[in-house]
Amino acid sequence: MDVTEAHRAFRGRSVISAEDFHKEDLLAVLDAARRFDPEGGSHQYEPLLQGRILATLFHEPSTRTRLSFEAAMLRLGGQVLGFAEPHQTSFSKGESLADAIRVVASYCDVIVLRHPMEGAARLASESSEVPVLNGGDGSNQHPTQTLLDLYTIRKSTGRLDGLKVAFMGDLRYGRTVHSLANALLNFDVQLSFVGPESLRLPDVLRQRVEAAGRLGSEVSSVEELDEDIDVLYATRIQKERFPDPLDYERVRSAYRLTRASLDRFGDDLKILHPLPRVDEVAMDVDLHPGAVYFEQARNGVTVRMALLHLILGEGADA
Amino acid sequence: MRGPKDFRLSDGTVIDHLPVGTAARALEVLNLPRGGPVTVGMNVPSTTFGRKDIIRVEGVELSKSELDRLALLGQRVTVSLVRDGDVAHKVVLETPLEVEGILRCPNPTCITNQEEVVTVFHRIGDFPYRFRCHHCERTRSIHEETEEALPTRR
Repeated sequence: MDVTEAHRAFRGRSVISAEDFHKEDLLAVLDAARRFDPEGGSHQYEPLLQGRILATLFHEPSTRTRLSFEAAMLRLGGQVLGFAEPHQTSFSKGESLADAIRVVASYCDVIVLRHPMEGAARLASESSEVPVLNGGDGSNQHPTQTLLDLYTIRKSTGRLDGLKVAFMGDLRYGRTVHSLANALLNFDVQLSFVGPESLRLPDVLRQRVEAAGRLGSEVSSVEELDEDIDVLYATRIQKERFPDPLDYERVRSAYRLTRASLDRFGDDLKILHPLPRVDEVAMDVDLHPGAVYFEQARNGVTVRMALLHLILGEGADA
Repeated sequence: MRGPKDFRLSDGTVIDHLPVGTAARALEVLNLPRGGPVTVGMNVPSTTFGRKDIIRVEGVELSKSELDRLALLGQRVTVSLVRDGDVAHKVVLETPLEVEGILRCPNPTCITNQEEVVTVFHRIGDFPYRFRCHHCERTRSIHEETEEALPTRR
């Protein structure tokens, strides 16, 4: 899809679920993001969205998602309004989400919503006259995280086809794992999974990966992973998933990456993590040449700039 | 042994070709019995499906909304309206690709369980079907909320 086609495809479009994206859509966003990559061409940020307003409605705590959306809009010359917690808003008086979104939509050109209830962003997009971007709806979807993960993988390895990708940590509840694994099924990849028995991949997703012929190994420790993986995507295992704190302590130490544990994979391995990390990735991993998780976070601004520009930008009128 | 053809009515409805094991669910969905006699055949021989369930309801005509609910239970459930002992109208129900306003999402943290929303579910896969909530994307079978009997949303 060329630039004009991409703008036409995305103009005014809400971004709710990674499942709504076909391969061409994913590639269109990744291609568009190159223009805004600080390591790419020029570093002059153009005021492409001057006069446009982004509303960030965050019903749950967030650092990276909210700030990177706001940074993306500001760098494109637009303006930002919103809230980072709902207690001072009419939501705390019991106003419905649908009503609130209808009103906020009249104050802005695009909305980013984070909400604890699954499906909130879909409902918001049905109530809104302006596009809604899902900044995370409960344990369901976080599509812009998936886009920046894909962008980081392609940028750091140079490709999306022909990769062996391993996911480690909370495979059962981790929405980033589910969305990225689904998105990667659009490409010629092999997916492996490393996690404790109690946090194995949901059956539906496992069957989908297997039916696509893309299932690599399913193991319970990093030591059991094949040495030739290209990407290791680590996620945090949350304490609240374990009724017994002792079980958590056992699992926590088993799924901790250290520089020494990564030696056998070689320097070409790329290590991603959606952040925040607690202690599942040791500080000494930061010195590994393939540790790209901070770059991954930085790419969040780049990809969100591309998305905002595709949805609202001048090219969208072409 | 009496076969299904002996389940004759003068006025009422015959619900045929229910998948084996769904008759009880159908009774629940249709809130039967409602006063008149109801005859239920379970696991009876069928030339088309091998085995099936069948329900004969005296003195009841089903509404459109009740037919919509029944359509979720099987692939080709057949409903015949009987008047004066003859079949006056017969319809084969097709399970819709999109189910609106019938199912409730069993996910307690789905937004449809907090806000006034008409639920939408998408049919996925082959029979026995699963249904994916349009909002929270969780999938469910049709048999997951027996105590609620496929309620209409508020």
